[in-house]
Amino acid sequence: MLQKFRLTVTAALLLGLVSSTAGCGGGKTPTAPREGPGTSASAPSAQPKEPVKLVMWWWGDQEAQGAKQWVDETIQEYQKLHPEVTIEAVLQTTDGLYPAFEAAAKAKKGPDIQYLWGGINTLGMAWQGYLAPISDYIPEQEWRHYLNHHEELYDGKLWSAPWYTQPSFPIVYNKELFAKAGLDPEKPPKSWDEFVAAAEKLKAAGITPLAGGLKDGWFGGWLFSVFGAQNLDSAEDIIQAVVSGDLTDRKYSEWVYKLAETIEKGYWNPDITSLELYQGLALWTQGKAAMTWVAGSDIRKFVTQMGAERVGVMTAPVFGRGKLAGTFGSTSQTLAITSFSQHKEQAADFIRFTHEPQRMKRFYEITGSIPADDRFPVEAITLPQQKEIFRWMTQNGGAYIENFIPAKLDSEGNFAGMQLLFSGSKKPDEVVQLLQDVVKKWRDENPAEVERFKSWKPNG
Amino acid sequence: MEAERVTSGRELPSSTAVPAGRLGRGETPAGLVPRQKGSLSAGRRPNRYAWEWWLWVAPGAVALAFVYLYPVLVLFRDSLYQITGYTSTFVGLRNYLYVLRDEQFHAAILHNVLLLLCVPILVVLSLVLAIVLYERVVGWQFYRTVLFLPYILAVPVASVVFSHLLQYGGVVNSFLRYIGLGWAAVDWLGSPKWALPTLMGIIVWKELGFGIVLFLARLLSLPQELFEAARVDGASWLQVHRYVTVPQLRDVIGFYVTVESITMLSWVFNYVYIVSNGTGGPGTSTLVTELYVYRKAFGYGAGVLGVASAASVLLFLGSILMIIWNLRRQKEALG
Repeated sequence: MLQKFRLTVTAALLLGLVSSTAGCGGGKTPTAPREGPGTSASAPSAQPKEPVKLVMWWWGDQEAQGAKQWVDETIQEYQKLHPEVTIEAVLQTTDGLYPAFEAAAKAKKGPDIQYLWGGINTLGMAWQGYLAPISDYIPEQEWRHYLNHHEELYDGKLWSAPWYTQPSFPIVYNKELFAKAGLDPEKPPKSWDEFVAAAEKLKAAGITPLAGGLKDGWFGGWLFSVFGAQNLDSAEDIIQAVVSGDLTDRKYSEWVYKLAETIEKGYWNPDITSLELYQGLALWTQGKAAMTWVAGSDIRKFVTQMGAERVGVMTAPVFGRGKLAGTFGSTSQTLAITSFSQHKEQAADFIRFTHEPQRMKRFYEITGSIPADDRFPVEAITLPQQKEIFRWMTQNGGAYIENFIPAKLDSEGNFAGMQLLFSGSKKPDEVVQLLQDVVKKWRDENPAEVERFKSWKPNG
Repeated sequence: MEAERVTSGRELPSSTAVPAGRLGRGETPAGLVPRQKGSLSAGRRPNRYAWEWWLWVAPGAVALAFVYLYPVLVLFRDSLYQITGYTSTFVGLRNYLYVLRDEQFHAAILHNVLLLLCVPILVVLSLVLAIVLYERVVGWQFYRTVLFLPYILAVPVASVVFSHLLQYGGVVNSFLRYIGLGWAAVDWLGSPKWALPTLMGIIVWKELGFGIVLFLARLLSLPQELFEAARVDGASWLQVHRYVTVPQLRDVIGFYVTVESITMLSWVFNYVYIVSNGTGGPGTSTLVTELYVYRKAFGYGAGVLGVASAASVLLFLGSILMIIWNLRRQKEALG
């Protein structure tokens, strides 16, 4: 299973070590870079005879700075090639991204193209009938190139097209603060014990070891993703657990106790529960903390803000015994076509256009994020930290498990549970029980989605 | 009494008409003639009158039915279904059972009830401040403006500002530490213990101005003789306001209590949503019923519209019961 994931997750994007078998291996196959810039990514594009207006809802620069500029530029380029087509890009807030879309989709109004996160965040919308399978409009030989597309596969169809990758989630550390605490900046901790020892030294030197922000909840989901996978062997493990398992079992709950240990020892910024995610991460860029987690798509911003030579990257310290322990998760942010769109072919054509070599090259130039396409030229990546991250993804990739649980478990379990754990108002046992209670409620509340989960086989 | 005039079945009031509200039981307003057998108003015309009545009322009734009745009926219907995207499955009362057993719903109800504690605080504070301003303290007009200012600020603006001020490392705590009160610097919005009281403080700060202006306006319209008479009789400052001011403001206080009670029960969504970033957290410490319904219907990963509808119906029925209870109380008070 793990091997399948490893192969899928951006498969040899940088190193080109694996020869491509794209097109014949489904979501489990390696997707190594094969073609350089200039190679056309798409089939001949659709040319409408009548004026067509496409509306796209998405969330702008929130985790890929410059993405808005790129979207505007891409729309202009597309409209030049297709004068009959007008595309309007409408920005949504993080909080409003899904609620606004769901409300609109229920009324069969809203965008033609919707930005979605991967895995359950896409399939949840597909299962409600809000999306048209993109594989009906984009040929398989094309979408097989899209990295992490296995997360969006269900019932033999692809429900959304990966756009850019989201390595999830590297730890960035401040080398100067490491050195100040007597740690070797070039040898970041790998095991849990090393991690705790390093945090202890940092604390003793008067440095806050870890920074985060939990007020809006999202960081709770990140922590679950990077630590909760360590006793699992594959994404199927966590799917099975939410469908019929017991989350209080040590296999699924150890991560909560490990986190509690770090809280108890005072390794985190004391205001973590009163700060939003990005306010918390900003403590690291301000030099007020030694380590934090960042969205992989936004790594360039963090590194350049701090100064590349001062920043090291590391993966989550290992404590688990599952096959996913020590692996590095990855997902892709995606673009989907709505089921009620009147211009599905044209919408698909635009999405395919975003994978044109020139467009992908510009995307990386502007945002520093890696397009989710195995044809993206790996040599374009220049930032050493980014190269390192992509080495992990391609050689040591794993499942990004937050995308394989019900969003309810994430928001009411991980988000709320971490707030309560970090604020000291719940003990680890109680938080673990909360997670189990939430998943039980989900089974009771949403039996239709439970059935979908049962038949969801991300690895085929 | 003037001669009766009857036109198109409708009797015109006389110039000496007594307001209907002041009539005793069994009395008839002057100028309005009771219909009698054989009179014009008791023959064919009442039928026409009834027909006309419906005609005039119909557009408004249709609009009201469309705006209020139809959504309520749809809400009732949806509460009996499990709705997944475009498909609905009848599940009977299962959504209701789910909501009634849900600890989050219980917490939300409890928090709404606790928020009602803001009402007496608001009344007392508004009253005291209105009286102080009424006493014409130096610069009272300036203070009146300053105290009213929060009320005209948009709720999101106030909430965002307080969210920043009240961070654990924010301005308020920094100030407390600076003046040596570091022990009082708590995690106002990040601690489940403090989040709801802090939210209540923000709401009181925001809503206080309305009460002050309301009470002050009424005070300024009261005849001075009442106060002078009390003072001549030797009433102290406290007695003047206890026995003169408060009784004179009774109606306005009643109005303010009603408006603020409604606010605490059904208008705090935007405060909670912004202060807690839409989570109702930490944990469920600031979750209120409106946010519960929103999260069930549209929250990240929820999308259980049937459950949201069932919760809404329960709240609707609860509101109806409270209205009936209130109407009965009013009726009893009127004798």
